[in-house]
Amino acid sequence: MRFEYSAEESEFHSNLSRFLDENLPADWHGPPDESRDDHWQIYQDIRRGLADNRWLVMSWPSEFGGSDASPLMNTIFAEEMAYRRAPGHDRFGTRMIGPTLMRFGNDEQKAKYLPAIANGEFQWCQGYSEPNSGSDLASLQTRAVSDGDTFIVNGTKVWTTLAHRADMMFMLVRTDPEAAPHKGISLILADMHAPGVQVNPIINMAGGHSFNQVVFDNVKVPKENLVGELNDGWRVGMTVLNFERSGIDYVGWARRALNEIIEWLSNDDCPIDFSGQYSEVRSRIAELDTEVQSARFMCYDVAWRQGRGDIPIAEASMSKLSATEAYVAVLNYGLELLGMYGSLEPGSEDSELQGRFLKMRLFYTSGPILAGTTEIQKNIIAQRGLALPRK
Amino acid sequence: MDFGLSETQELIRSTARDFFATSAGAEIVRNVADGDEDAAKKLWDEAVALGWSGFTVPEVFGGTGFSFEDLIVLVEEAGAALTPIPIVESSITSSVLDKYADEEIKSELLPQIAIGEVLITPAVVEKDASWDLSTPLVAGTSTGSDVVLTGEKRFVNFANLATHALVSATIDDELAVILVPIWNNEGVSKTALKSTAGISISNLTFNEVAVASSNVVATGKSAKSAMSDLVSLGAVARSAQLAGLGRKVVEVTTEYAQSREQFGKPIGTFQAIQHYLAEMATTVKQVNHLVYAAASSSSQDSYSAEYVSRAKIAASEKIPEVCWKAHQSHGAIGFTWEHDLHLYTRRAIAWKTDYGDSTFHKHNLSRLLGL
Repeated sequence: MRFEYSAEESEFHSNLSRFLDENLPADWHGPPDESRDDHWQIYQDIRRGLADNRWLVMSWPSEFGGSDASPLMNTIFAEEMAYRRAPGHDRFGTRMIGPTLMRFGNDEQKAKYLPAIANGEFQWCQGYSEPNSGSDLASLQTRAVSDGDTFIVNGTKVWTTLAHRADMMFMLVRTDPEAAPHKGISLILADMHAPGVQVNPIINMAGGHSFNQVVFDNVKVPKENLVGELNDGWRVGMTVLNFERSGIDYVGWARRALNEIIEWLSNDDCPIDFSGQYSEVRSRIAELDTEVQSARFMCYDVAWRQGRGDIPIAEASMSKLSATEAYVAVLNYGLELLGMYGSLEPGSEDSELQGRFLKMRLFYTSGPILAGTTEIQKNIIAQRGLALPRK
Repeated sequence: MDFGLSETQELIRSTARDFFATSAGAEIVRNVADGDEDAAKKLWDEAVALGWSGFTVPEVFGGTGFSFEDLIVLVEEAGAALTPIPIVESSITSSVLDKYADEEIKSELLPQIAIGEVLITPAVVEKDASWDLSTPLVAGTSTGSDVVLTGEKRFVNFANLATHALVSATIDDELAVILVPIWNNEGVSKTALKSTAGISISNLTFNEVAVASSNVVATGKSAKSAMSDLVSLGAVARSAQLAGLGRKVVEVTTEYAQSREQFGKPIGTFQAIQHYLAEMATTVKQVNHLVYAAASSSSQDSYSAEYVSRAKIAASEKIPEVCWKAHQSHGAIGFTWEHDLHLYTRRAIAWKTDYGDSTFHKHNLSRLLGL
């Protein structure tokens, strides 16, 4: 039992931290807004720098350009990146489609895509959700019809983060409409620059452009871009979701936000006088710190289990649930303490903490929704973890 | 980081589970709760035979010399079984003696603790029910070879089995920790409290009781530090017991949800029940991690005060919540005296305040966070 970093883990953490000190702008507070060209440039520079240090895909096997780092090391990486609100961590490539290609891709696909991800040259996006298929993903309707050497793809994907910056999309499409919902789906790789792909921005409730609607109108996708077997896409694609379902990013963000609250409260410039309710404030902060720290260990525990070769499905859901709840609680309390200032948008005169808490609270409404809603995570914990009957 | 138990700890866990399953079932828990002192004594004798009274007593003093982290693995199981035995009390008082007492006390008492001849229970809380132990009202005056003690300690666990109490007192205007023999001691009167915990909890009144000066374990700064250690070790151990209790409540409720049928199917198929159980299971895991983080931060000389408080905050707030959700999931049957569920809930209510409630530990933690 050891709840601290080992010497090796500490060393990596401080190396990464130094890299971020040297490569993030001096006044960087984040969070990044990839729709801004200056932020997108930072994203690409950091991504390349991470690749140069062999950190971007450090958990990958060395044969694919990684360093065989343990899931634990990868979790330290993700937590620090989140704590710094650093852009450039290409989750879709490094955490999702990369590992999926290693497992299900053929040799040509591995040779073509994995080095590009490892070198930080390439942006992926994920095409799963559709207007009528959210939590009930297996009902998806985007069609891919066989036509010689290609699939002709028609349909609409939605909530597609970074589609406006992406080079490729890994997407689930229906290839057999006659089969049962889970049986007629395939996973294919589509070129986002191909004719017939139209990316329509969706402005989120925080006023930012993070995700999109992507319309496919008779888009040709070469059959060599099928990953795994035809109609086996549900199994192939769910592997992605298991890689996706970790809470560690939220933990990093929550720790950062909580520290900012403590610093703000303790600052002589703090415009609000908390002396009359100081003990209540202290009590709430301690409670939130406890939430965040327990969520942190939930995430590291998942990584530790993965490192032993386990597939901790329920534990991963628990970590996402714990971490999103803790983060939202921290943001809610931050806004509460900011009082009237909490309602001031970024850029507003008199805003405190640059209006970040408002922006983050609005933006991270998505946290308990994306990658499986809180309710879906609870279903997974109950059914996979506690063996409660499905019906 | 490493979340695994050592081989020794795995062995401790399986030994404990076997013992609690075979020797300390719900019937015994109920009997002890109803005041069956013989059952309580017999159970403790069996635990002593397994070496659990001297679990953390160093081997040179005849104990088994396990670490505090190992103890946490054991008491988590004791908590899951609601076993009414003073493992926590015996271990944390012997740890305090080992660190603060002089060689004479140690070489006399620690070997006797290991064989179960001596059991020392903490007697540190007073009328204000506070775990801030800096200014005890129990007062002592030195008379050369003796200290004469007067005053009252409240909420003392297992005073029925204990031979001694480890008492915080103001002796000659200074904080001190003193060992007071309470077994057949005319100057010490015991009043049993009617606690919902289902274990023996009493008040102890000292009526000008003369205690040998050599029984003073620590004074001044050292006494303050000893009390701080006692509260910290106790807080983590109680949190571990609460975590074990919570785990058991999740197991019991899961089994019920799998078997109880309504509308023609198990109630565990309903999302409302599934979500309760998912929340309960997640909560218990959170508490467990913080308990182990606190335990693994502890060594003979130090511990992380942050993790101690985090563990007790989480355990005190969340495990009772797990119990209430379990009642809701059980429906009417879980509201009956006959069903065992309330035994867990009652114990959780008692333990959530022992060694500092969440308010106390939030205050400590916020100070450590720089507020």
